[in-house]
Amino acid sequence: MSIYDFKVKTIKGQEKDLSDYKGKVVIIVNTASKCGFTPQYEELQALYLKYKDQGLEILGFPSNQFAEQEPGTNEEVQQFCKVNFGVTFPLFEKGDVRGDHAQPLFNYLTAQAPFKGFDESHPVAKGLLNALNTKFPEFLKGDSIKWNFTKFLINKDGAVVTRYEPTTVPSAMAADIEKLL
Amino acid sequence: MVKIYSTPECPWCHKVKNYLKSKNVEYQDFNVEEDDAARDELYKLTNDLIVPVTTIDGSTYVTSFDKAKLDEMIGIN
Repeated sequence: MSIYDFKVKTIKGQEKDLSDYKGKVVIIVNTASKCGFTPQYEELQALYLKYKDQGLEILGFPSNQFAEQEPGTNEEVQQFCKVNFGVTFPLFEKGDVRGDHAQPLFNYLTAQAPFKGFDESHPVAKGLLNALNTKFPEFLKGDSIKWNFTKFLINKDGAVVTRYEPTTVPSAMAADIEKLL
Repeated sequence: MVKIYSTPECPWCHKVKNYLKSKNVEYQDFNVEEDDAARDELYKLTNDLIVPVTTIDGSTYVTSFDKAKLDEMIGIN
């Protein structure tokens, strides 16, 4: 089994077979559809522009499951939203990424790549852990998706290679991507 | 007529709309996630794709929920 066994829906509701990405290095990421804690969009877009000609695809799956509780950051909250978040890589239909109604793709990804903790040196790690402990302590159990911008790096055979928590910025994934391309 | 370019899930868009409603200002709302023509208009106007954008004359506009600038453009006292 691999990610190629899954079908998903595009943001316009059309069915997309993940086997269409055979032979590509793929990043699957759950994104936030609200405005606010979204600086990772820009870095993901930068990775996409840098490596897409070499065969990288980024697939974004918006979810509202964490949207109401943004971890505190020191950055000023922007008072506007970017349409499609200013990214040109494909975004898919909004859906759950954890819990009873999680999309099967995310159940598969989290089973393949267990949760190994947050990088506590990242500036949002503390706020994120506090928010989870206070609001969603059950989210911390098991291997499920913990928050927006959990990233899965997939090799050219459709196998999950590495899981990166929200506390790993996309730019830090560059060396791992290059190894797989 | 006041035009607002917005997306359904953008909280700042709701703030602009609620504010104009509270001031009894009529507006037309364009959801640029679905309305491709409106999205093109927005890009032509602002050279970017951020929302909310409010305009009356299609040349000057106010980005985000900036009450002072909205008041000035629309003539709210």
